[in-house]
Amino acid sequence: MSKRVIAYTLLVLGVAIAVLPFVVTVLASLKTGPELAKGIFSLPEEAQWHNYRQAWVQGHFGRFFSNSIIVAVGVVIPSVFLSTLTGYAFARFRFRGSALVFTYLLLGLVIPLQAMVVPLYYVLRELNMLDSLIGLILPQIAMSLSFGTLLMRQSFQRIPRDVMEASIVDGANSWQSLWHVMFPLSRPMIGTAGLLFFIWTWNEFMLPLVVNINPKYHTLPVGLMYFQDRWTANIPLIAAGATIIFLPLIVMFLIFQRQLIDGLTQGAVKG
Amino acid sequence: MQVSPTGVEQRSAPVRSSRRQRGSIEPWLYLAPGLLIFTAFMAIPTIGTIALSMTEWNGISWNTALFVGLENYQRAFGEGQFRNAFINNLKLIPFFVLLPAVIGLIPATIAHQLKLRGVRWFQAGLFLPYIMPGVLIGVVWAWILNPIFGPVNRILKQLGWTKPPVWLGDFTWALPTVGMIGAWAAYGFCYVVFLAGLKRIPTDQYEAARLDGAGFWQEFTAVTLPGLRGEIAVVMSINLINALRAFDVIKTTTDGGPGNETQVMALYMINSAFGSNQAGYGAAIAVLLSIITLVGSMLILRLAGDRDE
Repeated sequence: MSKRVIAYTLLVLGVAIAVLPFVVTVLASLKTGPELAKGIFSLPEEAQWHNYRQAWVQGHFGRFFSNSIIVAVGVVIPSVFLSTLTGYAFARFRFRGSALVFTYLLLGLVIPLQAMVVPLYYVLRELNMLDSLIGLILPQIAMSLSFGTLLMRQSFQRIPRDVMEASIVDGANSWQSLWHVMFPLSRPMIGTAGLLFFIWTWNEFMLPLVVNINPKYHTLPVGLMYFQDRWTANIPLIAAGATIIFLPLIVMFLIFQRQLIDGLTQGAVKG
Repeated sequence: MQVSPTGVEQRSAPVRSSRRQRGSIEPWLYLAPGLLIFTAFMAIPTIGTIALSMTEWNGISWNTALFVGLENYQRAFGEGQFRNAFINNLKLIPFFVLLPAVIGLIPATIAHQLKLRGVRWFQAGLFLPYIMPGVLIGVVWAWILNPIFGPVNRILKQLGWTKPPVWLGDFTWALPTVGMIGAWAAYGFCYVVFLAGLKRIPTDQYEAARLDGAGFWQEFTAVTLPGLRGEIAVVMSINLINALRAFDVIKTTTDGGPGNETQVMALYMINSAFGSNQAGYGAAIAVLLSIITLVGSMLILRLAGDRDE
């Protein structure tokens, strides 16, 4: 019996250590500086919402936030769409060179951004895409495609063959059977892919750091870094900025917890 | 990088249909847009890295690039800076790879072997740091460990430690501190993967062990550990990749300092390529970093042996 008590205590401790820094950050974002100096675990006497207003307006987090949203949407939807097409091509057709092209696309799984970021910068410069959101979106789509293709091909292959054949007998062409039959049947996988693409994009730091110098095009992570440099001592303000980044992630996590954990652990893991 | 599953790839042959013909351009129409973007923003830059690594180039106009063969690599090996960064990455390995695996394995094993209830509920909390951006983790910990207004040192001082270390600003402590932040970010992930793996171990193996009179420890070494071989390999190679590629957290906590105490390969690469305008040299470091990462993770997967599924 006591063994179980110790075991539960260990687990609770593990959860507490994992979660506390975030809780403390949210609390700090609602306090005044002197109040924070007195203790980090106490609840704020009066919630200082103006910290958020200040971060949002003067700290430009409003702009960073909308940039992040634009980039995330601009990456997730096209990535899901394009991975569906490529995954479908490999699952449905047998064609010369299919294995070769599949391997080529999958190489992206072992090529980290670090391995290509230097020339990527110059490619984007040639295309006049430095200091723009499209310069973040296109490479991020490219980085999502390998995993997306793998996932979608697997998902399509799991659908019983009869299902697709039935739609062919009904006279559907490949495009119609993709969108009317295969796509709806793969919805869970598509959801997982979309979630992972969103998180990777939302959290990406090195790419926007290198590509966009102009603060007008900063996304949240880069914005937060420069913000921290500038307001080092104003912890409540930094905490408010930090909270603006992780709140959307937490909300998503709470809604899609199961899918996310399964996707990130079993399906695939991106470091 | 994305490591593909523990999962088994289910192979089923493409549909045999009357409409499918060899040499049809149909599949290529589906592939074209994806291939185009992948080639332009992934494949070309990757090949570009290798090409660029053999040049000396200030990154300004193309015609100033000078072919220098393997000189950049020679320089990297000969120079203390790169070696220092590489060694720092190696020093992060115990923190990023071993520590979180052990911290994750112990509670997962206990929870499983004692058949604790409600363990799924703990998953969410433990997993949280893993989905958070590295920048955020860096900024939050930089505050928590700040020697002047951070809570940790304030508490330590209240407990009577008059001069606690300045952690991220301390020549001795900076690297282990960054390492601990990395361990903190990963242990919950390890726990979740291990717990999922434990559920796949057939219960009769535990029953057999128990019939043989095995205690908790024997159960652990005879059943749990061998049963988790695959998960351990996957987790360790992912953590290893994170250790060798560490960037976000270090950039936002120490930026390589104090001095060069926490300088790592990725940071050195970015600084060389963009900070001091040595695009060719930066590219060479990128190639080295990629090779080291690839070799390291293959080594771990090999050591753990093939998974029999």
